[in-house]
Amino acid sequence: MSTVCQSKFYTLFQSDVDRCFYIDFGQKVVKLTFCQLLALRQKVNSISIEAHFDADLNKHGFEILVLCNKEHLFLLNTLEILDLKHLVCHGFARLGISSENIMAVS
Amino acid sequence: MKNIARQQMSIKVSTMDLLNKQIKLEAHASATYLAMASWCDQNAFANSADFFYAQSAEEREHMMKIFRFITDCGGIAISPTVENINHDFSSLEEVFENALDHEIMVTKSIHELLATARKDQDYVVENFLQWFVAEQLEEEKALRDILDMFELMGRDGIALKFIDERIKIGA
Repeated sequence: MSTVCQSKFYTLFQSDVDRCFYIDFGQKVVKLTFCQLLALRQKVNSISIEAHFDADLNKHGFEILVLCNKEHLFLLNTLEILDLKHLVCHGFARLGISSENIMAVS
Repeated sequence: MKNIARQQMSIKVSTMDLLNKQIKLEAHASATYLAMASWCDQNAFANSADFFYAQSAEEREHMMKIFRFITDCGGIAISPTVENINHDFSSLEEVFENALDHEIMVTKSIHELLATARKDQDYVVENFLQWFVAEQLEEEKALRDILDMFELMGRDGIALKFIDERIKIGA
C-alpha cells in the first residue's frame, strides 16, 4: 500500500493489488472503491463549515458521516471535518484528477 | 504507484463539480420555463405556453445530457434540488425578457465551464461542451426574435394575440 496523502488525523492509502483505497480514520481503517472515495469527497465538500460557527444552523458542532453504502458511520467534530476536507482536497490533487490546489500540495 | 483514479475517471473532479453546478442550472431553467408556461396558460397565451412547455422539456434534456456525460466519464452526477422559481410576471414581454436573461446566464456559465476545461486540459469536456455553445446561440436567437416582434407589432391586446399566434409558427 502506498500513502497518497496524510493530514493531522487521517491518512489516505492506495492499494495497487486490491485496486482500491483505504482511509485510516484513527479508530478504524475503511476500504473504499474509487466510486466510494468520490462519494466521500462529495459528502465532505457539501458540509458547510460555516454552519459549525452558527448555533442556529449546527447547535452541537458535529457532523454524521455515513460512508460506503451505509456500512460505516462517523461522528466528527469541527476540527476533524476541517482535517477531512484537507485530506480530500489534497488527496485528489495527489491522485492527479483534480486541478484544485495542486500548487499548494506541491 | 498505479494511477487507479485516472483509470476509473476520464475527467477531473474539479470539472465534475462545475458540470454538477451546470446540471442544477439547467434544472432551474427547466422549472423556470414551466412557471412561465403556467403564467402564459393562465393569461390565455396558449401558443406561448406551448413554447415554454417545449423549452422546459428541452432544458431537462440538456440536464440529462450532462448527467449522463458525468456518469459515462466515471464521475458522480448529483440529482439537483430546485428552489426559488418566480411565478409572477407583469406582461408577456417580461416573460420572454426573463427567459432571454436566463438563457444568457446559462450561456455565461457554459463559457466559464469551457474556459476552465481548456485551462485544465480537460479536452474531453471541452469537446462535449461545444454542442452546448452552438445550442445556446440558437436558444438566445429564438428568444431575441420573439422580443423583436414586440417592437414591430406593439404591446396592446390585439398585437399580443398576433404575437402569440406567431410564436406557435416559430416554435
